[in-house]
Amino acid sequence: MAVETMSVEVAEASARGLVAIGAGLAVGMAGLATAIAQYGIGTAAVGATAENKDIFGLVLVLTVIPETIVIFGLVVALLLLF
Amino acid sequence: MTSISVAGSAIGPAPYIYVTTRMRVRKSKLLPREEYLRMLNMSLPEITRIIEESQYKAEIDELSQSFSGIDLVEVALSWNLAKEYQKILAITPGRLRIFLQTYLRSWDIQNVLTILRGKSQGMRVGKIKEILIPAGSLDRITLDRLLGEESPERVVEALKGKRLYPVVEKEFPAAHESGSYAHMENELYKAYYADLIETAQAGVKGGRAFLEYIQLEIDIRNLQVAFRLRQGPIPEDAREMFIEGGEVKPDELVRLAVAEASDELIETLQQRVGAETLGGLIDQIRGDAPIHAIENALTHLRLDKMTRISKRHVFSIVTILDYLERKRFEVINLRALARGKESNLPTERIQSYLVI
Repeated sequence: MAVETMSVEVAEASARGLVAIGAGLAVGMAGLATAIAQYGIGTAAVGATAENKDIFGLVLVLTVIPETIVIFGLVVALLLLF
Repeated sequence: MTSISVAGSAIGPAPYIYVTTRMRVRKSKLLPREEYLRMLNMSLPEITRIIEESQYKAEIDELSQSFSGIDLVEVALSWNLAKEYQKILAITPGRLRIFLQTYLRSWDIQNVLTILRGKSQGMRVGKIKEILIPAGSLDRITLDRLLGEESPERVVEALKGKRLYPVVEKEFPAAHESGSYAHMENELYKAYYADLIETAQAGVKGGRAFLEYIQLEIDIRNLQVAFRLRQGPIPEDAREMFIEGGEVKPDELVRLAVAEASDELIETLQQRVGAETLGGLIDQIRGDAPIHAIENALTHLRLDKMTRISKRHVFSIVTILDYLERKRFEVINLRALARGKESNLPTERIQSYLVI
């Protein structure tokens, strides 16, 4: 059985590719997690605002808190890429 | 969480979260216990002013042309309650609305019985209309049409096609002859609860929480009847007064109602609701507390237990029902307060009738 060997260029290229996939997953999955978190909070926020308009500012802040998750993902992706 | 919207049906739990959040906000706006205690020391005009300045303002303004004084307060409270219930029904989507509609049908029973009783006693249409609360499936227009009928027989005829009709038709001749609608009322409530249980058990998601609450309501209602029966000689048809479907069976309830000491009844209550929630109620029942105090305590117990269930099933129908019931008791309390003050009842007496 012949063993296929990989040239250095090909190995480097696939390593870069895997890093890119990893970075993509980090941002993508963190984004999905954020979406799931914001789904519940956003719905409750709309309900609460419908009853009491004064709390709009407060619930807006609460709704964007899960954005931190996607920022973590982004940071990981940037660290991977650079 | 994955279901997709089909022609206006609900998408995942979002509508549940939306509606229950709104109910929670509304619940937080209800009058707190301290406010009632403060109002107990006020005079009637002061109480009326507080009611006018609160969320009942719109109804007071709307009705001030036709009514005045205590009548205005009372009618405004009923209108507000009916409007509130209809509004909630309008913002509730999907399955929750089906549960809610079935639950609110108890108002139909109350309204139809009020009309029948009023008509057979020859009361003025206007007077009957004042006490109707169109919060169920029979709206104001339908109720007006029923009120317009000349005799109780015609009212029953006009109900044809409605959910209540089969029971009303069957029970009406006997009730009309004897002049007492109590038996009909029992039968209507039995059918209503059987309907509720059927809806809850239909395998629809969220039905379990609903069923849990309905069984609690049936049990508390039955226990209230049992306590009431203890006050006098037990009628032969006592078993028929209890509603099927609760955890405590009617036969057991009849036995408890005739038992000499109330210990067994208390024990059953403890088993049903959990000893820790009973608290001061046991002393009240053991002592010679008047029946209205025991009933009040039981209502209190039901509301507390309901809040507990709603905390366990946060995004469920129970959270909505919890608000609806608390709102109903706010209206009942305010009415009791206003009426009590008008009749110059002592403060302690009024307080014993409040569910706070």
